[in-house]
Amino acid sequence: MVRIEIDRHRCEGHGLCEQAAPEIFRLDDEGEVELLVPEDIVPELRVQAEAGVRVCPVAALRVRR
Amino acid sequence: MTSSSLRRIVVVGGSIAAVTAAEALRVRGFDGDITVLSEETSAPYSRVPLSKGVLCGKETPDSALLPPLDGEVSLRLGTRAAGLRVDRRRVVCDDGDEVPYDGLVIATGARARRLARPGQAGEHVVRTLDDATRLAGRIATAGSVIVVGAGFLGMEVASTCTDLGLAVTVVDRDPPLRRLLGGWLADLVVGAARDRGVRFVRATRAVELAGGQEVTGVRIGDRVLTADVVVSAVGDVPGTGWLADSGLPLRGGLVVDDRCRVAPDIVAAGDVTVSGRPGGEFRRSPHWTSAVIQGQVAAATLLHGEVATLPRPDAYYWTEQFGLDIKISGEIPDGPAPTVLAGDPRERSALLQWRRNGRGVAAVSVNHRMPIVKLKRLGAWASAEPG
Ligand SMILES: Cc1cc2nc3c(=O)[nH]c(=O)nc-3n(C[C@H](O)[C@H](O)[C@H](O)COP(=O)(O)OP(=O)(O)OC[C@H]3O[C@@H](n4cnc5c(N)ncnc54)[C@H](O)[C@@H]3O)c2cc1C
Ligand code: SF4
Repeated sequence: MVRIEIDRHRCEGHGLCEQAAPEIFRLDDEGEVELLVPEDIVPELRVQAEAGVRVCPVAALRVRR
Repeated sequence: MTSSSLRRIVVVGGSIAAVTAAEALRVRGFDGDITVLSEETSAPYSRVPLSKGVLCGKETPDSALLPPLDGEVSLRLGTRAAGLRVDRRRVVCDDGDEVPYDGLVIATGARARRLARPGQAGEHVVRTLDDATRLAGRIATAGSVIVVGAGFLGMEVASTCTDLGLAVTVVDRDPPLRRLLGGWLADLVVGAARDRGVRFVRATRAVELAGGQEVTGVRIGDRVLTADVVVSAVGDVPGTGWLADSGLPLRGGLVVDDRCRVAPDIVAAGDVTVSGRPGGEFRRSPHWTSAVIQGQVAAATLLHGEVATLPRPDAYYWTEQFGLDIKISGEIPDGPAPTVLAGDPRERSALLQWRRNGRGVAAVSVNHRMPIVKLKRLGAWASAEPG
């Protein structure tokens, strides 16, 4: 199982995760990042999730396996 | 060479552009060997927190580490590329080892420019994790600092030092932040810095480091300013030294086209690159987002040649200083005041837009959280979108 972790204190709302993986991450109206899928993600979404996590400039996102 | 005959891809560099390219190669289905050669001994990390959280000691160095590349990529740390033999398709390492490739990604970024004379010690810069931890240790006990250079990096360092209670002087030949933010927004930020006690000194002549073997301050003509710590934030130099004899096109950086191509089976991404602009000028865009986008484009180009669609222009960068969280989409024109779309700049919280011929060219949020796609629609994407 793959799990996405968001550190909301670190997130600065740059939205790069959303641009890289729009099926998984979204910024709400206040610019806060939210997950569009359950934290424990299905294997088919792993590659997208990792692409979204990779681009965060402040290392606010992690994928744990 | 077609993509099917690429078996070994070498990526030179060890930061966001290199890591993005390596990952994008796998995402696009490349199943041959990928070797990443990085001069640094640390695993890849983000530089963005180095002038902010890491410098003030609020964040640990480890927290800047990028998510690790998985096992299918071989990452060779502490390995510096010293030369490139394009004819024989080999990267020559500083230990004499030669690494053969079918396809090459160049992502050697940039290093900090320095002002010290040869042999002169004590100048600080902020480019690597080591630089930041060394400076963090120094400013934790110092009383005063001179920052040379009033670009984003210099001003972020100045801001962090102010928060830590140091007396801060910022020296530059040009008006602070003007080139990056335009006059109107630069004034707003400089006002916030002055309110927190930062002293600005306009250098009318070249700035040199003062002191003998150890730096004690700066010299501007006959004038000498002293401080406990001196930090140079005077720009960076693209990491092209190892390419000097390669025959690849260098114009103050490695020249790439809009698909990140340099030469057959050689692509490049990130701070090391320059691209041609109308008028024959070559420009860098040394920001996180361009390193990410170029890393992705470079990988696609190497594997597939002409990719079907290029990403749309996405000039996006940001800075945090003196209590201002500033996010920028597009290129801010110097001079005119923007339209205030929300908030109030006097209260230092606003959404701003600059327009030309009725269309948005740049949008900026100052202490104003919002979805970034909306900011981009008002800024970098505005001229490309209908209405
Ligand atoms: C303190 C600081 C704060 C920043 N803050 C922001 C910000 O808030 N927003 C923003 O958009 N941008 C920011 N930036 C800029 C951003 O970090 C860079 O644009 C980004 O790091 C570029 O990535 P890169 O991979 O192209 O190059 P680099 O990060 O420079 O990495 C190049 C890598 O290549 C390695 N290398 C170099 N030469 C060789 C060689 N010959 N052989 C092997 N390896 C080699 C280096 O060791 C390094 O690991 C900041 C930069 C700094 C220094
Ligand atoms: S990329 Fe990072 S900082 Fe930006 S919105 Fe996503 S999690 Fe937050």
